[in-house]
Formats: sequence, C-alpha cells, structure tokens
Amino acid sequence: MPPRRAQDHNYMAVDSDSDDSFIVEDGDGDFGADRTRGAKSKGKGKAVQKGKDKGKGKGKEQPYSWEASYTRSWDAVQEDEGGSLQTAVEDLLARGRRRRLLGPSTAIRRTIIRHLILILDLSASMLDKDMRPSRFDLTLEYARAFITEWFDQNPLGQIGIVGMRAGLGERVCDMSGNPQDVLKHISDRVKLEPNGEPSLQNAIEMARGSMSHLPSHSSREVLVIFGSLTSCDPGNIHDTLDACVKDRIRVSFVSLAAEMKICRDFCVKTGGTFGVALNEGHFKDLLFEGIPPPVQTGAAATAKTGPGNPAADLMQMGFPTRLPDTAPPALCVCHSELKTEGFLCPRCGAKLCDVPTDCDICGLMIVSSSHLARSYHHLFPVKPYEVLMDKSSLTITSPSVCHACALPFRESQQSKTPATAPAEGLSPLGRYRCPDCGNDFCADCDVFVHEVMHVCPSCHDPKPIPQPS
Amino acid sequence: MSHLSLLLDLQPAAWHDPTQSLQFSTFLAHILVFLNAHLAQKHENSLAIFGAFPGKSIMLYSSIDQTKPADRRVQPDPNWYQPFKTLDAALTERIREEMPQPSTSSEAEELPVALVGALAKALCCKIIQATKVEAPSDTPVVMPESRILIVSVSPDAAASYIPLMNSIFSAQKLKVVIDVCKIYGPDTTFLQQAAYLTGGSYIRVEKHESLLQYLMMCFLQPPSVRSLLAVPTTDRVDFRAACFCHKDIIDAGYVCSVCLSSGSDCF
Repeated sequence: MPPRRAQDHNYMAVDSDSDDSFIVEDGDGDFGADRTRGAKSKGKGKAVQKGKDKGKGKGKEQPYSWEASYTRSWDAVQEDEGGSLQTAVEDLLARGRRRRLLGPSTAIRRTIIRHLILILDLSASMLDKDMRPSRFDLTLEYARAFITEWFDQNPLGQIGIVGMRAGLGERVCDMSGNPQDVLKHISDRVKLEPNGEPSLQNAIEMARGSMSHLPSHSSREVLVIFGSLTSCDPGNIHDTLDACVKDRIRVSFVSLAAEMKICRDFCVKTGGTFGVALNEGHFKDLLFEGIPPPVQTGAAATAKTGPGNPAADLMQMGFPTRLPDTAPPALCVCHSELKTEGFLCPRCGAKLCDVPTDCDICGLMIVSSSHLARSYHHLFPVKPYEVLMDKSSLTITSPSVCHACALPFRESQQSKTPATAPAEGLSPLGRYRCPDCGNDFCADCDVFVHEVMHVCPSCHDPKPIPQPS
Repeated sequence: MSHLSLLLDLQPAAWHDPTQSLQFSTFLAHILVFLNAHLAQKHENSLAIFGAFPGKSIMLYSSIDQTKPADRRVQPDPNWYQPFKTLDAALTERIREEMPQPSTSSEAEELPVALVGALAKALCCKIIQATKVEAPSDTPVVMPESRILIVSVSPDAAASYIPLMNSIFSAQKLKVVIDVCKIYGPDTTFLQQAAYLTGGSYIRVEKHESLLQYLMMCFLQPPSVRSLLAVPTTDRVDFRAACFCHKDIIDAGYVCSVCLSSGSDCF
C-alpha cells in the first residue's frame, strides 16, 4: 500500500545508513536532501503527509511503480453536454501545447553550427521488452525520427553515430551533414543486432576523437541513449570525463533503465541534460529535447579572450551553382555516378550531388542560401502572444474572428472554473494577442505560428515610413 | 478533393497603369473563369482567396466559411450555377471595397504589398493545417491536397526575406505546393525559390491576353496529377547568397558563426 510505503521510506532513511543507497537509487540521487527530509519527518512523527514531499519529484510519492495503485486517468476526463469527449480532448491538447510555448522568447545566442555524435547502446540489455516492441527497436525508430527532425532544425549541423557493443565502441556512421547518409547507416537493424556489454568509456573516447579537429565556433555534443546499468571500461572513466570537460564537449544522456551516478556526473559537469525515460512517449520527449539548438552560455561565448565579440568567428562557405536537369551529364565526386543535375563547388569546380556538404576535393563548406535562411528563426523568434483572460481587454471594434484563419473564436466550455485556467496559460476566450501588432489569434493559429511557421501573420505587413516633419 | 489558396497581388500602381496590355477587369474575368473551373472539377473542392494590398492582407473569399453576409445578398439565378455566382459576386464586391483608388491614396500606393502576411494567413487556414495532423486510425478521413497559387505583379521586397523564407519552409513541412504566376514586373528570386523548394511551378506569362490558358494548363490540376502532365517546373533558380554589405551576389565568402550574415572580402 503506497501510504505505508512512504512512511517506511522515511523511517529507513533515518535509521539505517546502509540502506541509503538502496532507497536513493529510485529517486533523484540526492543523498543530502533525502537525509534532511528523513530527519524532518521523524521530528514531526509518522503522521507526516506524503504531500509534503512534493517538491522532490514524483518518484517519492510512490516508491516503486509496481506498488502504486491504478491511477484512474479516465476520471479526469469530463463529457460535455452532448456526451461527447471531443471538447475535453481538445482542451487537454490545447493545454499541453500551450505549456510548450511558455519558454523564453528574448533574443538568446544559440549555437547554429552543431556537431553531434549519437551514441547508441547496442548491448544485450537493449533486448529487454519493457518498452514495446523492444528497447532496441524503439531506439532505432526514434533515432530515425530524431535525425530527420534534427537536420530540419539544424541544416548546417553534422551527425555521427557510434554504437556500444561487446565492450567496444563501434563507428556506425561518420560525421555527415546529409540526413540520407546518416539514416542509411541505421536502416539495417540486422547489422546493429545488440550483443555483449556496453563500454561507455570506449564510446565516448571515440566520439571525442572524431570531434577533436572541429573549430571553436561549432558546438561539440554527445547524446547517449543508454539502456544498460553497467559499463565495462578499460581504464578510469573519470579521466574521460575530465578530458570531455577540457574539450568542451556537452554530454547528454537518455537512460532507458535507471539513473547511474557516472552518467549524471557526465551531464552535470559537461553541461548536458540527463533523463530517465518512464515510458515510450517520455523517451521520445527526452530525446527530442535535444533538437533545438542549445543556448550558448556566457562561459562558452567568452571563452576565447579578445577584444570585441570574441566568439563570433567567420566561416568560409561556398554558395554553389545549381546545374539544371538539362545540363550535360558528368560524374559526381561523391558517388562517382553519371548525373545531369547537381551543384558546382565555386572554388574547385567539382560536381556535388547534394548540399549542404563539405566539398570532397577542396574541403570548402558548401551551403545554399536557403539553408542559412532555415536557421534564422532560431535567431529571431516570434514573441509569445499574450493570453487574453477576460472581456475587459476587448473593445467593440475587436473582430470576432481570428486574424489569421478568419474562423470565429471558440470560447472555452469550462469557463466556470476560472481558477485552473490562468496557470495553464489557456485563454477562456480562445484569444491570443500579438504584443507587436495587437491582432488576436485563435489557439490553433497561435501554436502553429510559434511551432511551425515562426512568422506572425500581420507583423510583417509593410508600414508607411513616418515622414520627418 | 483539393484545396486551392489563391493569393492575388493587388498592387494598384501596377494594375492601374494604362500602358499595360492586360487591364484589371480582363484579368479578373480570367481569374474567375479559372476559379469556377476549379470548383467545377469536383464538388468537394474548396477555395480560399487572399488579397495582398499595399500594407495589408485580407481574406477575400473562403468556400469553407459560409456565414459571410456577402453570400446572402446574392439572388439565386436559375441560369447560373449557384456556387459560381456566389463566388463571382463575393469576390468582385470585396475587391471593389478594399482596392485603394490610386488618386485618393497616393501614399499607401508606394508601399509594397503584404505578400508575406497573405501567405502566412493562407498557411494558417485550418484546411491546410489538417494535412499535417494525423487522423485517428479508425476514421478514414481523406485529407485534401493543398496548394497555393500566387499571382504576382510586384518585385521582391528585400525586407520580407526572412519571414517569407520561414513561410516557405513551413509550407514545405506541410507538403503544400506553392505555384507562382508572374504577370508583370521583373522575376522575383524569392518566389522562384518558393516554387522550387515546395515542388511547384514558377511561370512567367509572356502573352497577357492568353492568361486564362496559362492558368488552365499549368495551375488547374492538383499536384498529384501533375507528374503525368509534363507541367513546366522551375529549373533555373539562383541559390547564391547576397553579401550583406554591398548586396552583391557572391560565390564564396565568409559567414558569421553567430548571426549567419554573409560577406565577401569586406569583412
């Protein structure tokens, strides 16, 4: 029974030091916090409520998921007057989407040129079936989705893949800027069949080695999907950790099993993120958190000492000439195939199949201007729209339809309980106002504008230039 | 079923020029015939028309939203297919209301048209967004094929480059094809890129009197049919970047790693 268990937990944390590690493993791994809370609850006696522990993560309330009682998730869903769940579902969706928008909107410096090594655990523990169909299959599926989305958001970045299998680090795919190349290497699941023990040190050393040549303006990141609870290393892994800190490699972990101290240490010391996947959906969320370009911290931005704006390097890039389909066929330098269409490197004149890429002949970075443009929305984000809470902000002239899609605003059905709405950032009027142009938008358009389009539909209308009088 | 969003570039300066061979009334007549043909193809076909005026963009007509008062004003005519009549009457009336007169608004006329706003609104249209959302597996919903046709008469506005590119990328993500029909003015590189990136066609109308034929032959059929029909596609697109300081087109240059501005030797 959960309540009993929670009390036991506090009791044990106080009374026996030897049990600490056993208990802490389940939570946040924070010894100090656990002890103090234990002491506090002892002072107040056993009547202390579970709710007091709330600040410290959900894991504390029910120590083990298999001991928890069923959560009746269907009770939270209310039918509307017509007996339909449609409005309830829409409300839930809207709330989830609104929450995602509450991030910072000010101009922040982000790393645009990214280099990422994805380390996949290919050890025997990936064959566990606690995630459907198996950890391995799910990882491959999500890794593919991740790579596609990552390249969409970071067109100038490059990804390499390293596998951990049979105690070795195994290079699955070299650093490449072409999503098709990378995807091809993980398309064949037979080649990646899990086997043996993983070796964290070998894999991270291999990733570190393949990023050592990179210039300082590009980010070096490692993302590990780790399904095992052990690591079989040839040397001291803390040396690797120190080397990563020195090389400014950001290591992030997504663990499928449980938290390991060394993994947490890697993330904390190198500035990465750590997460343990609770279920399939959560796994995907954790993985996809790594997609938007990371904010450049003050330390990284001022790392290179010098006058002015030190970390702003200039990169040499070539903008290729595109050959039309009617051009005479020629051999490309990347695959040695006879093709008519392609791109010409402006420096050496070599013919390339696809951009962005590094020219195989002269090493020049070849991009097209649209790839540069694709990154601009990270630099100039749309301001979040203000949530209109009551009718006082409306005037008689306020239009009754969304400025973007011209559909009438839908007022929320649950407006009788206004206490819950403000915290969720959900407007009971269904209106969201742009702070710049002052137009109202509906919830769907709000989410679409911020997540997909990154353009406010009316802020960019040309305005008359004020005449100096 | 297919959805067509039509973006009309209604720059009064270009349309009121008496030296042009294509007058606005003729142009509108051709467009109306084309739109009627689109509606006649299939009963489910839907339509949204956006006007890009100097400094503002307006939705002129939408077949999805039938609550507009303009629809009710139309008297039924037994000799006229009702949807055609509704569309024709609503569109001409809305344009007449909104079109600024060149004599009265000399200042507004100088402004470039709000093409980005119109494009963004077209993309916000629920029926286009619906193509992205996966339908629940138990309800076989046929998602409409969406495309956007831009009828352009004005040149590129350099200030709108970034928002325009962002809109193009979101169209690409939603698998919306952008077609461009250029009637007057110089070729616009931005719209050429739009057509190229989304797989549409960019066509420059050489003979203005046969505009209708261009529209019917190149833009009437939905994108899925086009592979069978040898529609002219965009072939020559310039993807080179312009130097930020001199606006020269450069082949190879330096790009700032923080703000991505490009330049040649001037840095």
